[in-house]
Amino acid sequence: MKVTTHTTTDTLTLVLDGELDASSAVVLDAELNKPEILNYRKVLVDCQRLSYISSAGLGVFISHLQRLQDSDVKLVFFNMQEKVFNVFEILGLDSLMNIVPTEQEAQAA
Amino acid sequence: MRVQPDALVGQNFIGLLRVLFRRGLTLSVALMVLIGVDRAAAAHALPLPGNIITAVVYTIALALFIIFLAQTLYAWRSLVSFRGGAKLRREWLVFELTLGLALLMQLLVWQMSPGLRLGIGIGLALFGVYLSGHQRWVAYLNNSQKWQAILLQLGILGFTLLFLFYLRNAQADPVLLAPATQLSFLVLSSFFASFYAIAGLLITLFNLPIAEVFEQRRAEILGLQHLSQIIQRGQSAPEIYQMLFNSAIQTIKANAAVLLPERQPGELAKSPLTPLRYQFAADDISLLAPLLAPLPGTLRAPELIDNNLERSKRLEALSTPYGSMAVLPLQSATHNYGSLLLLHKEPHAFDSEVLSILHTFTAQTVLSLENLQLAQESLSNQRTQDELRIAALVQERLIPKRLPTDDWFEISTYAQAAKEVGGDFYDFLHLPGQKLAVLIGDVSGKGVTAAFHTAQMKGIFHALMQANPLAKKERDRYPDPHRFMVQANEALTHCLERSSFITAAFYLIDYQAGGFSFARAGHCHTLYYHSIKEEVSYFRTEGLGLGIIRDAGYEKHVKNQFWDYNPGDVMVIYTDGIVEARDGEGNEYGEERLRQMLEACFYQSAEEINEHLRHDVQEFSSGQPLHDDQTLLVIKFKAAQPHT
Repeated sequence: MKVTTHTTTDTLTLVLDGELDASSAVVLDAELNKPEILNYRKVLVDCQRLSYISSAGLGVFISHLQRLQDSDVKLVFFNMQEKVFNVFEILGLDSLMNIVPTEQEAQAA
Repeated sequence: MRVQPDALVGQNFIGLLRVLFRRGLTLSVALMVLIGVDRAAAAHALPLPGNIITAVVYTIALALFIIFLAQTLYAWRSLVSFRGGAKLRREWLVFELTLGLALLMQLLVWQMSPGLRLGIGIGLALFGVYLSGHQRWVAYLNNSQKWQAILLQLGILGFTLLFLFYLRNAQADPVLLAPATQLSFLVLSSFFASFYAIAGLLITLFNLPIAEVFEQRRAEILGLQHLSQIIQRGQSAPEIYQMLFNSAIQTIKANAAVLLPERQPGELAKSPLTPLRYQFAADDISLLAPLLAPLPGTLRAPELIDNNLERSKRLEALSTPYGSMAVLPLQSATHNYGSLLLLHKEPHAFDSEVLSILHTFTAQTVLSLENLQLAQESLSNQRTQDELRIAALVQERLIPKRLPTDDWFEISTYAQAAKEVGGDFYDFLHLPGQKLAVLIGDVSGKGVTAAFHTAQMKGIFHALMQANPLAKKERDRYPDPHRFMVQANEALTHCLERSSFITAAFYLIDYQAGGFSFARAGHCHTLYYHSIKEEVSYFRTEGLGLGIIRDAGYEKHVKNQFWDYNPGDVMVIYTDGIVEARDGEGNEYGEERLRQMLEACFYQSAEEINEHLRHDVQEFSSGQPLHDDQTLLVIKFKAAQPHT
């Protein structure tokens, strides 16, 4: 999987491309672990090209959710494929995390 | 085959020479005393005829000399035959026998013609010269031993000459009547004894300048021996580095040295890699950085030899000036183990000879380090394998072996772990009052940690499902599914690592009430065949996985659901390994296909349904490796309900 980042003054966008499994979860975890991430107001996750997410991948978001919330950083997912959204939904994460259909809505969130 | 070692191998030649020297000294002193007695007798004109005392003294002196010669020859024999073969030993025997024969013939007063005697004499003398060439023992002496050997041999030579001188004078004495011929054997023997001593002495003397080379060689061999012994004893990398460092400094007599070890991939950061230093200030290490930089475009540091630092101005910043230096990388084909820097005051200290020694050392060190790494890797692999085996064994025991049976339901189970140890689990409890508790779940992650949390969930399940004796109402005796999830979540809060979570579904079936309550904590939706509506559908309920919210807020994220079942209803409970099974093209099996499969076989027994479903999953993903653990439980409420 490939993780690319775009930044504006108050927003960090992570673009995920491929399958987020146990090995790529480590890469994503390192990205989210960077201390400067708490300086942003929002972290947007572009899931358009995310084709699969394993429990290890979900674990990364779960473990960072609290930390980001405590620092008032919003975590917003957008452009999520139905298959991937289904995984979030089954686990009950859709009620906990901000998942929106489009980038515009993510920017507005 | 083991060769019997020579008597003198690894023993002290100096000891042998010293014993000989001491005997020679004693005998010489005895000779001096005898001469003194002779002189005194002559001076005081004793009543005895003067020539008798002289003859006695001469005879005793002769005996002493023969003893000394015999011992010298005996010692020389040891030295000559040292490291010599069978041929040499035969030659020595011939020499001894010929010498003895010559003596015997003279004792028998068999008059040889002077020509023959001269011939035998010259022959034996030449033989002696030839044997004197065997001085292998000299090579085994170190520098100071060589000096001792020279002095001791000079002494032995001196004593021999002293005796010869006396005997020759005494023989010329007119008062003595002794046959001159008897002496020729002695002359011959002493000629050999002296010649061997002189030859050994000269060889030792000329050996002195190269003695240092021998010692250096020996130090190298010892250094290499230590290095290879260390591998065999399986010692640590720091010890190997230290050994290389010490050996290199000692062997080439470096004036200063630094060894900078490199951390290996996978090596724990707990042990800081301290550079080894010898006569080199810690602050100066930073000056070495440009020398150790890898070649452009590679990760490999070059070897750097500078035999004229004065001219090249390298390391000029050092307070002590050095003449030459060598930077040797410790590299294998795949790894960089660090660098060794050696400094010498003299210019041109690192010639090809020295470098070849150093290369042997570094090659041996790299080999040792690599072996060590391999050994450690295989050890840790073995340990992981063992742990997995134990965990798999533990998990195997956690799977319920006996399924609950009653006349109102049927249960069929199927479980397949993807790796040695999986994260799936399930359990049943048949409670009094015709109740059945069913738990299924999936711990995120795999391996030993997952197995550990699986065991934990099983423990929580059994602990929470103890009947509460204080409960007033029958329905409060056991926690309802919502309560169960909240308590399980709380119990897991303190022991589940932050990125782990557990999905679970819990069902409490009550036969008497003809219904069940259940809660879903992030687990796959339950598939259900409704016999009255003749419809297969999923219970699409809400519920968050365990361990995601770790405070009282979790309570709001899980719900209790109720359902009245009818005879013939079928419940299919499974883990995501079933619906996420993939075919060759990467497509997932999916909920829909599972639903359609149940539609086709709901009328069968629980066991047949289970078999039907799992065969379809296996067929779908045939040829693909098992992606995730698969668990499939089928519960069928029997059509014929005996008590209603």
